[in-house]
Amino acid sequence: MENIAIADQVDHSSHPNSFLTKYVWSQDHKVIAIQYSITAIAVGLIALILSGVMRLQLGFPNEFSFIDPSSYLQFVTMHGMIMVIYLLTALLLGGFGNYLIPLMIGARDMVFPYLNMLSYWTYLLSVLVLVSSFFVSGGPTGAGWTLYPPQAILSGTPGADAGILLMLISLAIFIVAFTMGGLNYVSTILQARAKGMTLMRMPLTIWGIFVATILGLLAFPALLVSAIMMIFDKVVGTSFFMPAILSLGETLDHSGGSPILFQHLFWFFGHPEVYIVALPAFGMVSDVIAVHARKNIFGYRMMVWAIVAIGGLSFVVWAHHMYVSGMNPYFGFFFATTTLIIAIPTALKVYNWLLTLWRGNIHLTVPMLFAIGFIFTFTHGGLTGLMLGNVVIDLPLSDTFFVVAHFHMVMGVSPVMVLFAAIYHWFPLLTGRFLNNTLGKFHFWGTFLGTYAIYLPMHYLGFLGVPRRYFAMGETDFIPESAQTLNEGITVSAIIVGLVQLVFIANLIWSTFKGKKSGRNPWQATSLEWQTAQFPPGHGNWGEHVPQVHRWAYDYSVPEVKDDFIPQNFSPEEVKYLISDENNRREDK
Amino acid sequence: MQILKTLRMKPWLAQEQETEPFSLATNKEKAASTALKFFLAVITVIFFLFTVTFLQRTQSYDFQALSGEPWLPFSNASMLWQNSFYLLMASISIILANKSANFQSLKGVVISLTATALFTVMFIGGQVQVWQQLNQSGFYIYANPANSYYFLLTGMHALHIVAGVMVFIRCICLFSLDLSYQGLASRLKLCARYWHFLLFIWLFLFFLLTGDAQTFKTIALFCGF
Repeated sequence: MENIAIADQVDHSSHPNSFLTKYVWSQDHKVIAIQYSITAIAVGLIALILSGVMRLQLGFPNEFSFIDPSSYLQFVTMHGMIMVIYLLTALLLGGFGNYLIPLMIGARDMVFPYLNMLSYWTYLLSVLVLVSSFFVSGGPTGAGWTLYPPQAILSGTPGADAGILLMLISLAIFIVAFTMGGLNYVSTILQARAKGMTLMRMPLTIWGIFVATILGLLAFPALLVSAIMMIFDKVVGTSFFMPAILSLGETLDHSGGSPILFQHLFWFFGHPEVYIVALPAFGMVSDVIAVHARKNIFGYRMMVWAIVAIGGLSFVVWAHHMYVSGMNPYFGFFFATTTLIIAIPTALKVYNWLLTLWRGNIHLTVPMLFAIGFIFTFTHGGLTGLMLGNVVIDLPLSDTFFVVAHFHMVMGVSPVMVLFAAIYHWFPLLTGRFLNNTLGKFHFWGTFLGTYAIYLPMHYLGFLGVPRRYFAMGETDFIPESAQTLNEGITVSAIIVGLVQLVFIANLIWSTFKGKKSGRNPWQATSLEWQTAQFPPGHGNWGEHVPQVHRWAYDYSVPEVKDDFIPQNFSPEEVKYLISDENNRREDK
Repeated sequence: MQILKTLRMKPWLAQEQETEPFSLATNKEKAASTALKFFLAVITVIFFLFTVTFLQRTQSYDFQALSGEPWLPFSNASMLWQNSFYLLMASISIILANKSANFQSLKGVVISLTATALFTVMFIGGQVQVWQQLNQSGFYIYANPANSYYFLLTGMHALHIVAGVMVFIRCICLFSLDLSYQGLASRLKLCARYWHFLLFIWLFLFFLLTGDAQTFKTIALFCGF
């Protein structure tokens, strides 16, 4: 069942031969990746439905009797937590990380396949624990996805009994699962690369996943620490985060704890989490753009440096999420400055994507459409992030829909655009078939225009002062009636975008069995995952011998070379053959 | 700095790359060593963050240090010294086990592994005894933040020891199946590194949790709390 990641020769005795070892208790990184992806997408669909229900309430208040203020808060909380942790983190690292790392660096599998399998099953357990909170008395927690104490564990907050405990336990289990997976990813990248695959020859996808995994390993402990301490406060009666408090007319036994301390811990995890999601997306979109523009990525070294710099800086900006909590003005100045500084490497990446496109041989395939869509949405989300990084702008806008629009553009829509680009791009590698092109283009335009129809007006609502987290606005003097009309429009757009995703799911299922056959390396990519002996790659990935790497992953539009690209594993002799073959063909003409 | 040199490489120039070493010659042991280094980093972050929150809390009005006055439990910390001795012995005996495996001495391996297991279990037992004594003396987990942190941090440390014991048992099981001294030695090398690390963490926690009010005040002043 287990393949040695770095063994040159394949171990035929290790091939799984029963259904259970092949598809359920599999230690093959590709199967584990698919297990991760299916679970993440399934739980993500729950979160999508929750967002639809929330939008129904906001667009058409009091029309739906099954939504009350408590359930609204529960939907908000579960939507946020599921999307950020259980969908995006799991799909980008557990799904794409697992699938692509061994294939892109030329390994047969992860270095610890058993641990990898254990990581998935632990992740599934965390999802089940989380989802079970829908069925316990009081329902899931409604404390908001940030779970701020003291209100998160006090009666009066929805799900303050079992719901919050299940959430915290589920997070702790998720972190254990992530740590198992993360240790595997970094060890595999550092110790199992094929001969010739130096760090600076790795595709940017792997760089993004590598740095994001290190961020995850160092940032998730902050969430674990805060979750454990809050469980103690709730169950044992300690006062780590709980101050002396009078709740519903009753004096509680807590005293002296600091709720702000929890916020610091949470955001010490929370801000790197943005980049845990963004960095793999940055890497994957770089590769998609280079392949579909037939151009080497502009400024490869700068792109790597930017990934590393963003990773480092992401640990010193966390308190910009806490301006409204109050802090020493010098701290505010420090965190505003670091926030603006992190924009530099990020902007550099955006310029490099644009310069890669500049005068490229752009193929407007579905993956490329999503990649270009990402550049738009990420730039918009990033620019509003720059605004909110300033204390004086953040204070009035922090509790409005402006912030909701900002973080959905930068952390919701943008990574999801890359996820779609990546799924359309690498789907032939999984199945040997293309996703349907027409449905794909419909999916792109529906999602791209639809998300703009949702979030552009939402920025405006924020400027008007429409508060977030509110179940219903009621009548206010400062918010015009037209804001409600806009809210209705946003809701209709959100439902349309949600329905468009069903087209994608249908496309995914239909194309897996009936899609057009892609043949080998359909996008004519240079990176190793497309150069496997068997296509789609089988167990052990590389046939009899692991590949040897001779170049970087971006040799596109190479003059005098047949098909304009040189795969990473082509030796100089093979390249000479490609060139002479092309010259002969020209002479024949 | 190798990493800076690596990051300066120009991958589009084929010749330059040949100088950088590649990793095909590595083996599973090296991968396990890398994973352990990262895992120790994760544990360090966990205890670092706990420590930061602890130091902040030492300055709150309701914090009552666990030593400094004769009636406080750790003014006489002989039990903790005894536990420290057990963990130190476990750490030493696992080195001896590794050496015995290198010399392929079955007798040495059995004796030193037994000693490691025994001392580790004695450490855990000793810690449980301290928890019981604290409870019996009225120093409940919820009664004071110092008590809360004592139970929390020593509990987390014990949990990591238990996880180490599970890996340790796996090493023994694998050795009993294949009787490979080389495999045992390489696994014990990593186990030893983990045990030493947890010994270091314990000594740090010992110092931290048994400090008196004046010590905490000085540390907090130094850290700017």
